[in-house]
Amino acid sequence: MAKVVILGAGISGHTAALHLRRRLGRDHEVVMVSPNSKWNWIPSNIWVGVGKMTTDEVTFALAPIYKRKGITFHQALATELHPEGSTEIDRPYVTVRYTDPERLDQVATITYDYLVNATGPKLNFAATPGLGPDANTVSVCTPGHAVQAAAALADAITKMRQGERQRLVVGVGHGTCTCEGAAFEYTFNVEHELRTAGVRDMADVTYLTNEYELGDFGVGGMVFTQNGFETTSKLWTESLFRERDVKAVVQAHVERVEPGVIHYEQLDGTKNELPFDFAMLLPPFRGVDLRAFDRAGEDITSELFLANGFMKVDANYGAKPYDEWSAADWPSTYESSRFPNVFAVGIAFAPPHQISQPRTSANGTVITPSPPRTGMPSGVMGKTAALTIIDRIEHGTSARPHEASMADMGAACVASSGMGLRRGTAASMTMYPVVPDYDRFPATGRSTKDTFGEIGLAGHWIKYMLHVLFIYKAKARPLWYLIPE
Amino acid sequence: MDSVTADIQNSPLPTAQTLRRRNHIAYQLWRFVALNVRFVTMIFKGNH
Repeated sequence: MAKVVILGAGISGHTAALHLRRRLGRDHEVVMVSPNSKWNWIPSNIWVGVGKMTTDEVTFALAPIYKRKGITFHQALATELHPEGSTEIDRPYVTVRYTDPERLDQVATITYDYLVNATGPKLNFAATPGLGPDANTVSVCTPGHAVQAAAALADAITKMRQGERQRLVVGVGHGTCTCEGAAFEYTFNVEHELRTAGVRDMADVTYLTNEYELGDFGVGGMVFTQNGFETTSKLWTESLFRERDVKAVVQAHVERVEPGVIHYEQLDGTKNELPFDFAMLLPPFRGVDLRAFDRAGEDITSELFLANGFMKVDANYGAKPYDEWSAADWPSTYESSRFPNVFAVGIAFAPPHQISQPRTSANGTVITPSPPRTGMPSGVMGKTAALTIIDRIEHGTSARPHEASMADMGAACVASSGMGLRRGTAASMTMYPVVPDYDRFPATGRSTKDTFGEIGLAGHWIKYMLHVLFIYKAKARPLWYLIPE
Repeated sequence: MDSVTADIQNSPLPTAQTLRRRNHIAYQLWRFVALNVRFVTMIFKGNH
């Protein structure tokens, strides 16, 4: 009998757990450790953030699903990793602290044969003084944050209705943030809400980003083929900004946020201020606070994790100049570089480098988006690690690992605004692969056939369809596994 | 005027016909099917 422990019930961890449980016999144990009691379809938090959905529509309780599927669930936070065991416990184990109200703050150990680290990000609001829902800005990273954002937006709309002009800023709150696509999507949801409320002429909407240029999205931008021409995601995005009268500040690192004023630095070294009445700024991510120890109790965290807290896997982490970066640097099996029975998937794995070209300001400040690895790629990684573990349990530890590199994986981003069948619209983008591969696609690094952007109502329907399908899949309803990651 | 503002102001605007097409139900139903086919093709291209 084998025991597989998954840390984190986000998209990648939950996907891994469901596939493991479906394919492994009941004599093997699948254990989920997650500090959250609910699963969250994060892409739809954007709609919560403008008051178009409730938190109940984007979350559901995990415990009943895991009980039905036969997955052991610990509502707890993993704090320590002991991949060699210890002098007292002769097997690999994790130390957890319960967040379950019935066992709150109790500490326990859980042994494992295989471990999947899917702990996701730590929302690092502390990296920017004054950033975050506990300070001067709002966020849509969690359902709770999104509810606060919706309330703040409603307040701003009320003031506009009373004749008070408002300055709304949406974007990212640090030079190394990721998820620019989510900030972009929220920008146009806010803009749509202002028009729907009849107050668009009372608002200045500004998109504040660390991207070098609009349309970068943390993936170095894209080249689309449209109507017989190649065009760039830059031009495509700028056109949307012009059409909707949204201003933009690019190449920005937010240094601090004071009540009503964002202080930021740009790549040319200049320092500027942006006044605001409403600001939704996403935080930078870092790995969660998980420390690792060897059998003797010595701290080996730096051997398993990079300094940013993300776990090292089968990637090439050697330092080299941008021109020498290669698609082959990216991991494909997500095995820990040190322990083959440990995997890190989703945001928890450490990318070997950015996808966008790294840039530093005249003052030495890094202003470069971090690589996005959420949503579809996260689910694929979770499934890939699960399939490798299943093969090794069933066929022995020499079974070849399954592979899914982000340099051979596509992704879709549907930035949708509005609600209802006729009142929404969306900017839909896909790219293949996520990480450019100039050996396979010398011209642009990506397949121009499979990399495209389109604006229209159809994308909005797709976004809503994905919302319904992925929540159905996550609830492990009949034939859930037929829905691709 | 900074360069990003200038770039935005110099970018192309959609024509009235393009704007109508973005909300035309019949055309968007066709695009819904076409986009889904492209999404699924892209997903399976990775063979995951």
